[in-house]
Amino acid sequence: MEHANWNTIYPYLVWTLTAIIGLGILLASLGKKLHIRRLPAIDAIEEAVGRATEMGRPMLFVPGLAGVDVPTFQAIAIAGHVARLAARYRSRIIMPVTDTVILTMAEQVLREAYAEGGAPDAFRPEDIRFLSGEQFAFASGVVGLMNRERVAANFFFGSFAAESLILAETGQALGAIQIAGTPSTLQIPFFIAACDFTVIGEEYYAVTAYLTREPILLGSVWGQDVCRILLTSLIFTTTLAQKFLPEFVINFLTKAG
Amino acid sequence: MLAPIQNPALNWVLVAGSLVVSILILMVLHSSPPYVRRWVIVGITFLAGLYVPLEFYIPKHNFLTIWRDPIGDLMRVLSGFTIGLGIINLVIVHGRHILQRTPNFPFSLAFFVGFISMTVVGLLHRYKPELWAQKPGAGELAFWSAANKVFFEGMLLPLTSTVFSLLAFFIVSAAYRAFRIRTLEASLLMVAALIVMLANVPIGTWLTSWLPTEGFLKWLRFENAGLWLTTQINAPAMRGILFGAAVGSLGAALRIWLSIEKSFAFGGQ
Repeated sequence: MEHANWNTIYPYLVWTLTAIIGLGILLASLGKKLHIRRLPAIDAIEEAVGRATEMGRPMLFVPGLAGVDVPTFQAIAIAGHVARLAARYRSRIIMPVTDTVILTMAEQVLREAYAEGGAPDAFRPEDIRFLSGEQFAFASGVVGLMNRERVAANFFFGSFAAESLILAETGQALGAIQIAGTPSTLQIPFFIAACDFTVIGEEYYAVTAYLTREPILLGSVWGQDVCRILLTSLIFTTTLAQKFLPEFVINFLTKAG
Repeated sequence: MLAPIQNPALNWVLVAGSLVVSILILMVLHSSPPYVRRWVIVGITFLAGLYVPLEFYIPKHNFLTIWRDPIGDLMRVLSGFTIGLGIINLVIVHGRHILQRTPNFPFSLAFFVGFISMTVVGLLHRYKPELWAQKPGAGELAFWSAANKVFFEGMLLPLTSTVFSLLAFFIVSAAYRAFRIRTLEASLLMVAALIVMLANVPIGTWLTSWLPTEGFLKWLRFENAGLWLTTQINAPAMRGILFGAAVGSLGAALRIWLSIEKSFAFGGQ
């Protein structure tokens, strides 16, 4: 791993953005009221859990194909919320995973979520399943699970690759209500085509704030939005003013990290 | 302190010592109250999250760089421990299906047959490729190496390729649903997809080959229109989504580092 090059804009940018998000968290913890816009895909989670409960069938939550990384952590956090809802109705969630570290984390989070939801006995450890570390072996395992268990709702959250459409189309053929969210830009069109609701781009990282409405989490989302406005302004102003900027500024802005 | 140890006996003593210390730590953690465990997790998460940016942002090799490889090894060892948990999970799930004779228990039998045979053949290929077999002739593979090749290249690879090839059919069915002209957005999607598809097949180029290659009308040629759609419309939209997600990822990483994201790992218990 190389070290940061302080002659480029990137290290300054990262620390500035981090400071702004930190400021958002600080403001929220001091009591600033923050609003988050409606996310229909996330509102549909409760509907999906309710529908699966009515049908008496289990739900499937796939936390993506990646190992220990930020999108997967986010997926596990969302799974915790879905499990709390499922516990309220004493419904079953099946969670196949592709990474053994995630297996242990997922088991702990779902166990706690069922306990918080008031139904610790409804949690079945055997429903958190390690299928395979291989992409398509995992995909075929999940497809088999969907068909055998006749799942009524599918949740696809996390990093996905080519298997995304195999999973989502199988769910579609089974008639399951499907909600997906991924930061993997190449997979977003597949999910939009095959799922009922899709969370895209930055919405993915706002899901837990939206679900819990915790002020500190909302503060971080507010900070991220400020960062986006600042970055967009920086791109626009420097693009428009590039003919007037001195060369060393242009070099500083455009030099690769 | 961090240099590899050459003495094999000392190595074994250190491995055994590490195991004993790990078990003791696990026992202490297990018997401690939840709030103590929570603070241990929060503290370790914070320190681990602090190390990586500090090491990266302090220029050149610094006092933290020396710990980079040992920390990487530690991560690998931790992951190694969890592989055992993954195997236990598989054995429990499929073992229960067989013992209870559930309707799908033959699939679980297939798992055990595949798992055991792959493991045995893989280990024999690695350590004793000529066990219970004739010596291979010149240019021939040893028996267990050949068996390993059949298992991996003759069975596993074709099976994964088969699953991958299903994608082609799924793309067609998903595209059919997405392109059904019901709304203005679906109609635009359909037209754009048609142009991009025609731009990528020879017949598309042939259909508009009579149009001039220069001037404004050149943009009506399928290959140019398709290129314009992918580079001027699709690419900026994708970059925009990526841009938003990258900032979101930074925020999420910060929340995890500071243990603000209580929904996972740290729990509300």
